[in-house]
Amino acid sequence: MKRQWIFSFVVSVMIASLVLAACVPATPAPPATEEVAQPTTEEQIVQPTEAPSVQPTAEPTAVPPAERKVATFAWTQEPDSLNTWYSDMWFADILQQIWSCWAWQYDDQNLPYPHLVTEIPSMENGGVSEDGLTITMHLRDDIVWSDGTPITSADFVFTYDMVMNEANAVSSQYPYDYLESVEAPDDRTIVMTFAEPFAPWESAFWQGLFPKHVLEPVFEADGTIDQADWNLAPTVGCGPFVFSDWESGSFMRFVKSDNYWLGQPNLDEIFFQFVPDDAAQTAALMAGDADLGTFPPLSDVPALEDAGLKIITQNGGYSEGWFFNFRDMASPAIKDLNVRRAIAMAIDREAIIQDLLLGLTKPAETFWDALAAYGYVPPDIVPWTYDPEEAKRVLEEAGWVDTDGDGIREDANGNKLTITHGTTIREIRQDIQAVAQQQLGEVGIDLQITSNDSDIFFGSYADGAPPAVGDLDIMEWSDSTYFPDPDTDYWLCSQIPSDENPYGYNYFGCDEQLDALFQQQLVTIDSAARTKIIQQITKYTHDQVYWYGLYVDADYWIVSEHLTGVKFSGVTPFYNIMEWDMQ
Amino acid sequence: MTKYIIRRLLQAIPLLFIISLVLFVLMRNTGDPLATMGGRRATRPEDRARLARQLGLDQPIYKQYIYWLIGNDWTKIDLNGDGIAETQGTRQGVLRGEFGFSLLSRGKPALDIIMERLPNTLLLMIPAEVIVLLVSLAVGVYSALRQYTWWDHFITAGSFIGYSMPIFFVALLSMYIFSVDFKRWGLPYLPTVGMFDPQIGKTPSQVALHMVLPIFSMTVITAAGYSRFVRSQMLEVISEDYIRTAHAKGLPYRMVITGHALKNAALPLVTIVGLDVPLLLGGAVVTESIFAWPGMGRLFIDHLSRSDTPVVMGILMIISVAVVLSQLLTDIIYGWLDPRIRYN
Repeated sequence: MKRQWIFSFVVSVMIASLVLAACVPATPAPPATEEVAQPTTEEQIVQPTEAPSVQPTAEPTAVPPAERKVATFAWTQEPDSLNTWYSDMWFADILQQIWSCWAWQYDDQNLPYPHLVTEIPSMENGGVSEDGLTITMHLRDDIVWSDGTPITSADFVFTYDMVMNEANAVSSQYPYDYLESVEAPDDRTIVMTFAEPFAPWESAFWQGLFPKHVLEPVFEADGTIDQADWNLAPTVGCGPFVFSDWESGSFMRFVKSDNYWLGQPNLDEIFFQFVPDDAAQTAALMAGDADLGTFPPLSDVPALEDAGLKIITQNGGYSEGWFFNFRDMASPAIKDLNVRRAIAMAIDREAIIQDLLLGLTKPAETFWDALAAYGYVPPDIVPWTYDPEEAKRVLEEAGWVDTDGDGIREDANGNKLTITHGTTIREIRQDIQAVAQQQLGEVGIDLQITSNDSDIFFGSYADGAPPAVGDLDIMEWSDSTYFPDPDTDYWLCSQIPSDENPYGYNYFGCDEQLDALFQQQLVTIDSAARTKIIQQITKYTHDQVYWYGLYVDADYWIVSEHLTGVKFSGVTPFYNIMEWDMQ
Repeated sequence: MTKYIIRRLLQAIPLLFIISLVLFVLMRNTGDPLATMGGRRATRPEDRARLARQLGLDQPIYKQYIYWLIGNDWTKIDLNGDGIAETQGTRQGVLRGEFGFSLLSRGKPALDIIMERLPNTLLLMIPAEVIVLLVSLAVGVYSALRQYTWWDHFITAGSFIGYSMPIFFVALLSMYIFSVDFKRWGLPYLPTVGMFDPQIGKTPSQVALHMVLPIFSMTVITAAGYSRFVRSQMLEVISEDYIRTAHAKGLPYRMVITGHALKNAALPLVTIVGLDVPLLLGGAVVTESIFAWPGMGRLFIDHLSRSDTPVVMGILMIISVAVVLSQLLTDIIYGWLDPRIRYN
């Protein structure tokens, strides 16, 4: 009798747990049916009849059970927040084209096209003033939030005010801290005023928008929007889909919006399944449990292709490369241009790409290679080619000779040609370190390698982070400009970390000639003139070997054969999500 | 007994205080949460300085700990960086039940984040623990009662194989066999990741189906280890004099084994299960990551790797309290199971 009671209790607890788990989210359940979904047709789709609630927790959406076109995306990183100003994560930012909206978006050629505005401001159409200090934008007449409220210039002014308000701990105030003011002379016009011309404006402003009618009451009540429910449950958006629900660690769901001014998307629902493990992502894609994935382990690519999945690459602006340290504390060897040139010729990038990256990418010659299509890479750049004999000759000429026969070169004072190299713990980087150590060893350079977790590696000067305090001669990671703009502030003299500037991220050194060029391009509004300056920067950093590119670090997408109409942009990846469909 | 329990609880207070201090100092030295903010590049210096100020990360570590412990609503802070502390603090501190706000999902209470995951973890871990106990008891006893038979050798070999396999290997292997390959072969197959199929919805049967592979992976390894423990305990007990006496008295074999031998052999298992209880709350990091199960283990790793002190400290303190309480509970149960033990 007692045993029966215990058995009954255990079984009851397990059943209750299952039922409770299934009922945990206060957010709407998806179509609850045990039936396997049948092939869908356009005619069978029943559209949701009510606009999503403004309340932070979404109400259940009335949907038919079996005919919905649901695309499942395997997402290897869960966003911190859906409010783009509260997250720096790529996996969060790129969701903007699904539920939110930019003033202008970018196509699969990474070219901008107007989205909320009637046209992108320029000098030709009068949107940009002659002195570059004023930019005027005009909004479309038909744009509305997903709850039907019109999107007006007041939303833009409110967004600017919130981003710049010290009560809000937004991730970045760039580029809004370059502005002097944002004004709305009428509900269709926005005027941005700068203290100085700001050339990168086009690729930086209005990448998302706050709904004033939702967030202003929150700000007035709390004095901040940090705790606004909208940040994590933005049930009012301006994209083709609207946020439905998000269960921490498990999934996030978007359903098609009824109020999107460009019509309705083909898909009914996008379900983001958070899958943190790369191997599990591969298995889910191969088993058909996911229709889209990102950044697969490169060794899995053949198996994925064999399983009928497509691998699509898109230039997202990033390149993996070596940053060279020429600050005072760097080793004398790395400050010698001849040593840097020899290193550039002693590394076999093609072999690294073939052996470690399965030939899926190509070498990056300059930091601006991802922007070559814009003309920022001058044609007279001579690529570094693998030539260990020439590397040895350059070193000999520079006075680096192996006098004691231990395989490592020394200078005239007997100082060893030892270089320190550091990077993050990402596996491919550690593999490259090992290969580079061997290849540089063959020309008599002793490479000492270290690696750290990224939060330690990119720590501050005050924390003693190796790059910040100058412990490393060469630093490796993947980076980009303010893509698709060519601007970067990495090499500015003002960004060198110190006690007074503990968060500075110029870990490399101050070159006044380079600094002047960067300052000049930032305020040069004329596109052709600015391109010439960027070309000078590109050539200068290449020839001085301030940055040595290893490979173009493209975005990798894995797409199921069931998904059609799929295109990606490198800036706004889901720019054509409206056209995606399920077969 | 009541005095004993009260004494143990009072002793736990300074212990938890020391634990929290040590963990906090360690946490604040595991990395800079503002270094990349989860992005692909370093955070812009201007933003980093501002955020450090707004989130209180620019304060000395002792002050950060005090604010975490007792809040900062009794003092003013400098939000705008003008060097003047003019804004009243709003945090209440752990002692008043507020674990702070996540640095990653800014504005979301750390305790809310933890509590969202706890049911999922318990859902996975409790059935796994129950199955592990049942399987290990059954296998261990069976093996001990048939010592050196073919079955005993078979079970021993199987246990060692199971125990020596890393969890990620078992998890991925089972995923590829029962999900990917079974589907390719046209057999009934199990889902790979998540808690349910979005086309069907989060129904009890869907959740149960998605629990099969994670529980199988965890059970294989843990049950293998526990069964060896049960076997050795059982072998030790069945050679005791009182078991011989029980047999000599003419008690049925089944009653001797279950009523006398198993009860005593299982006693040390109570200690092990007691130690397991806090681990149940901590979740299974590898299993949850591979099967995309939204539990505490993943939460801990995700936030630890991003140096999210409030959330990580919340998890660690909950586990610390669970350790203290479970040990107390274990001692009480021990006294109940073994009448020779008295607590004064």
